[in-house]
Amino acid sequence: MATLIPTLTLSSTDATTDLLSFSVTDSLSVTAPHIGLAKASVTTVGANNIIQPATDGQTYYVYVKHTGVDASGSAVSTTLNLELTGDVVFGKLAAGEFAFLPVGGHSLGVQLQASSGTIVAEYAYFTKA
Amino acid sequence: MATTTATVSITSSDLVPGMPVSINASSTLYQTGTTTGLELVEMGRGTLTQASGADALADALGTADTTNWVYICNKSTNVEQYMIIGIHETKIGHLGSEEWLWMPWNMGDSDAEINIEAEASGSIDYEYAIYRSTNTLPAKT
Repeated sequence: MATLIPTLTLSSTDATTDLLSFSVTDSLSVTAPHIGLAKASVTTVGANNIIQPATDGQTYYVYVKHTGVDASGSAVSTTLNLELTGDVVFGKLAAGEFAFLPVGGHSLGVQLQASSGTIVAEYAYFTKA
Repeated sequence: MATTTATVSITSSDLVPGMPVSINASSTLYQTGTTTGLELVEMGRGTLTQASGADALADALGTADTTNWVYICNKSTNVEQYMIIGIHETKIGHLGSEEWLWMPWNMGDSDAEINIEAEASGSIDYEYAIYRSTNTLPAKT
């Protein structure tokens, strides 16, 4: 068993007249299997881009980032779908955006799908201990 | 135009011996397909009870397929308590005690409310923030 420390910070100097400086952190107990950080060239067929296995009730902490480039390294502005296996879209990332969330409590995995062409995604997942 | 920056850091010193994990990412929150910052923000805190069943944290009162962001934190310190997070009929995952999430919410259609539900017994305090590209005000009654 290991410890994973995720921290989210939201900040703005001009969103309101009050400065926004918000931070939240946690200490998560995680175990195998895990993928520390990987890249995938994601296509338009989600079933070919499963990044986290079916959960069988287990919880996984999933991180995904749209790198903003395609398989050839050219900049792209197309969106990257976050999906549960079976093509169930639950979110979309634009270039440069990221997400970190727990997935599980059901029997589905996580897959990625490019809205067109290819998109290079960074991802990681960690299994809740 | 005002902007907000989201930054995540994910670290571990003991997940893999000799190979510390250090993941960092940062992005500016923009309205859909633009470089205009997201300025509609709703932040708050609430309490869920298991008895209440699933509640909608937010309805999809905005333009479909837009860029919106959701932060939710389960403030319970009881490790037996977790929040079920979903969008309409889609269950995404369980948010354990003191855990948080940061995810896009694109309001794919009008039936795309964010659902939260407390498990197991008792009540769970939570805090949240929602950044929206658009928002439709409720009709006058």
